[in-house]
Amino acid sequence: MMDFPLLSALIWLPLAAAVVVLTLPEQRRELVTPVAFGASLIEVGLAGYLVATFPRGEAGFGFGERRQLISDLGVEYHLGVDGISLFLVALTALLVPLCILASRNVERARPFMAALLAMEFGLVGVFLALDLLLFFVFFEVILVPMYFLIGLWGGERRVYAAVKFFIYTAAGSALLLASIVFLASQAGEGLTFDFTRLVELDLPIATQRWLFLGFGLAFAIKVPIFPFHTWLPDAHTEAPTAGSVLLAAVLLKIGTYGLLRFNLELFPQVAVDWGPLLAGLGVVGIIYGAVVALVQPDIKRLVAYSSVSHLGFVVLGIFAFTSSGMQGGVLQMVNHGLTTGTLFLMIGMMYDRWHTREISAYRGLQGIVPLMAGSFLFMALASAGLPGLNGFVGEFMVLIGSYPSRGWLAVVAAAGVLLAAAYLLWAYERMFTGEAGSDRHPDLSPTEIGILVPIVALVLFLGIYPKPVLERIQPAADRILERLAEVPGFEPPLQVEAE
Amino acid sequence: MKNISWVAVGPLAVLLTAVAVLLTVEVLTRPRRRVWYAIAGAALLVALVLSVIQFGRASDGISSGGQGVAVSQHFSEMLIADPFAAVASVVLILIAGGGMLLAIPLIAEQGRKGAEFIALVLVGLSGLILMTNTTHLLLLFLGLEVASLAFYVLAGFSRRHPESDEAAVKYFLLGSLASAVFLYGAVLAYAATGTFSLLRASNFLESVVVLRPGVLLVGIGLMVVGLGFKVSAAPFHMWAPDVYQGAASGIAGFLSAAAKTAGFAALARVLMQGFDRHQPDWAPALGVLAAISIVVGTLLAISQTDIKRMLAYSSVSHAGFILTGMVAGGGGLRSVWFYLITYAAQVLVAFGVVAVVSGGSSGKAALADYSGLASRSPFLAAVLTLMMLAMAGLPLTTGFIGKVAVFEAAIEADYLWLVIVGVTSAVAGLFFYLRVVVLMYMSAPALAEAPGAAPAHLEPSPASRLALTAGAAVTVAFGLVPQRLLEVAGDALLG
Repeated sequence: MMDFPLLSALIWLPLAAAVVVLTLPEQRRELVTPVAFGASLIEVGLAGYLVATFPRGEAGFGFGERRQLISDLGVEYHLGVDGISLFLVALTALLVPLCILASRNVERARPFMAALLAMEFGLVGVFLALDLLLFFVFFEVILVPMYFLIGLWGGERRVYAAVKFFIYTAAGSALLLASIVFLASQAGEGLTFDFTRLVELDLPIATQRWLFLGFGLAFAIKVPIFPFHTWLPDAHTEAPTAGSVLLAAVLLKIGTYGLLRFNLELFPQVAVDWGPLLAGLGVVGIIYGAVVALVQPDIKRLVAYSSVSHLGFVVLGIFAFTSSGMQGGVLQMVNHGLTTGTLFLMIGMMYDRWHTREISAYRGLQGIVPLMAGSFLFMALASAGLPGLNGFVGEFMVLIGSYPSRGWLAVVAAAGVLLAAAYLLWAYERMFTGEAGSDRHPDLSPTEIGILVPIVALVLFLGIYPKPVLERIQPAADRILERLAEVPGFEPPLQVEAE
Repeated sequence: MKNISWVAVGPLAVLLTAVAVLLTVEVLTRPRRRVWYAIAGAALLVALVLSVIQFGRASDGISSGGQGVAVSQHFSEMLIADPFAAVASVVLILIAGGGMLLAIPLIAEQGRKGAEFIALVLVGLSGLILMTNTTHLLLLFLGLEVASLAFYVLAGFSRRHPESDEAAVKYFLLGSLASAVFLYGAVLAYAATGTFSLLRASNFLESVVVLRPGVLLVGIGLMVVGLGFKVSAAPFHMWAPDVYQGAASGIAGFLSAAAKTAGFAALARVLMQGFDRHQPDWAPALGVLAAISIVVGTLLAISQTDIKRMLAYSSVSHAGFILTGMVAGGGGLRSVWFYLITYAAQVLVAFGVVAVVSGGSSGKAALADYSGLASRSPFLAAVLTLMMLAMAGLPLTTGFIGKVAVFEAAIEADYLWLVIVGVTSAVAGLFFYLRVVVLMYMSAPALAEAPGAAPAHLEPSPASRLALTAGAAVTVAFGLVPQRLLEVAGDALLG
């Protein structure tokens, strides 16, 4: 179709930029941030081109690239993009330059920017890899820069948080690796890690169950699905702003993406059997995350727990097994990335000024920094699902899509929307309203406004006119549902159109 | 004597000649150190070239699509020239070369004794080569003893440190016991099969049904135990931490990497070439040894406060991973070789960094010395970080590919439980590998005001820098593009 290897360019450009940044001569150190920013802007351009040229109505994988990598082990360099991974790649590409801008004054900029770009390399790769071992390589590669970002530039308890993050995620990935290698050995003659071939395997149900557990646990830790969430508040809170943004906006999505792509497509029988259980865990996460967020004294921790709640919606949507539920789940991944990522960016801006994350230390910011207060309120409302903004579309689709198949679970989940409004608006009230009690600091600088404008625009766009995005997600979601529908005993629930 | 082949015996002849020349020149002319290095370097280079030629010849049959391997036996079936032997020689020579580069500061400290040191490394190397290039159990034992004796002395070379003496004595006592156990096993195998030749034993077992295999199985078991000592597989690992900690840092990497490579090569040859038919008997035993090694090595490494002891216990767990590949028999050979080669590079480099940071002749190397290393030497910290990540098995390093390869082999052989033990322990292993990284990057340097405090800046010698860079390059390059090395490892077949 195309000669230019667009997907490879998307993956390798950030790594090349990371190497350039690391090898820039010492007397040219002022170039570090501009080079990193420039490279990430080119990446945005590439991702934008990918989104623009991705055909609507395409259900399978486009822009495929395939060649032998390690033929002795059956590993291939196999890339492809479908409507689900498309927007996650775009989200990653969009957020990295904003993170770079937000971290423009960081100490030791050289390794910091290199780590950010190396992480972008892994994140884009994870969403584009169609070879399971290649996927795993990217999956693990992300850990190392993230570990250093938290451990070197994080808050007071950074080392503890970094090690906890690493060990938790690696524990999950160890089982994932064992499962992947085992699955690859089941393909008949020789090994193959090729996703498109492994999908066609017909494994005994007992094997499928174990493999579902192996894959599922790794992704459940990553999401995180309750009760595997305990690493998340520490990592989010201690990470530097850029780290928190990428962690919340993209890293967590690897978990839900993995469940959707691998657990559902590779082991549809088990997914159908255990779907209610996982949807239930999603709902537990929604309520639990929201309730715990309500009582956090630390604003960063509050947003971190709100992630547990929002990701619960994604899990519920995916395991609702209806078209609108699944589309809503995917859209909600993007939405949560935009809104929570931005909330973390704004908390970073506040921390730069007041050097505290305690909610009680702030009072009456509205009068001091009106622009910042307005933006924060806007993002908080988007996160809470105010109609007209992006969060509403995703959560509404998830709820309406899960009601036919999951019944009362959807009703309970709806309470999560109310709770989200409660914890976010209550935090806003405590920090921004009332008499001006905090020290005076300047309002948003032009750069900071520049960081926020594209996101605000996207939040509005997705809230008012999500059709272009949904049109591209729907075929891929329907493809997965068709695969589930082949499972004996799967009853397609009543479809509700969410238009 | 039949079948004299100069290529087959070449590496051994060159190395031993070099030893004689080196010692003679040293006694007669008392030359500068540069002359020692020239002699040793030339000998290693020639031996390497000969081994590569041997590999080219022996693996011709594979690459040209012909079936099997061009095997030739020489010196009345004493030496064998198969691709397996050639690859073992090449790897051992490279390890010795790297080890020697890293040991140069240590050699310089020894004064005139340095020549003996180099000679001992070369003698040890020739013993190891003999061990892997023979199918005759007695010759294998001879090689094992030659190498072991040289290693005992090397471990205790810096006699000023009492812990170095202690290391040497412990190594000697337990090592001799292990050698004796191996010899007893070889003799029992002789009693059962009537031959010391592995190929003949294999033929014998093909044609005869052994009704009461007890003697044979005990013999095989004892040989596994004896070699298990040498490769520090649990539960025969007790000596490893004390020896690696006590031995001079400059040579500990060589001792560990070379002994493991040769020990596993010999073990693979004995089990897969001589007693392949009894794989159902020995494979489960290896599986149990593998699991014990992985678990014990990982758990004990976690609580160490000395980086050399930690590396020693980590090497016990790596021995377990290599055994994991071995349970698959001949099918796992490729993964075993890949793991061995890449792990040898990792352990050499890791000890090499220790030698620079804690001093080449030192015994103890407290982990606390490594806090803030990143600010004292970014190069050393980066290299050691890479090695820790590789040993932990993270992708884009050889450690990951090696683990995938051995797990794949074990799964193919229906040892899924072993793979699960392996991956779970690999996670626990992250804990102590990461701790080193945390210390180096995230803790303040231990710059005490007291006298004897660590210098503010560390600079490795050019030779060390070369060896460390090469080892790091191997670890990354074959982690990114492992295909070529996997092919070589896959070609390293037994005759």
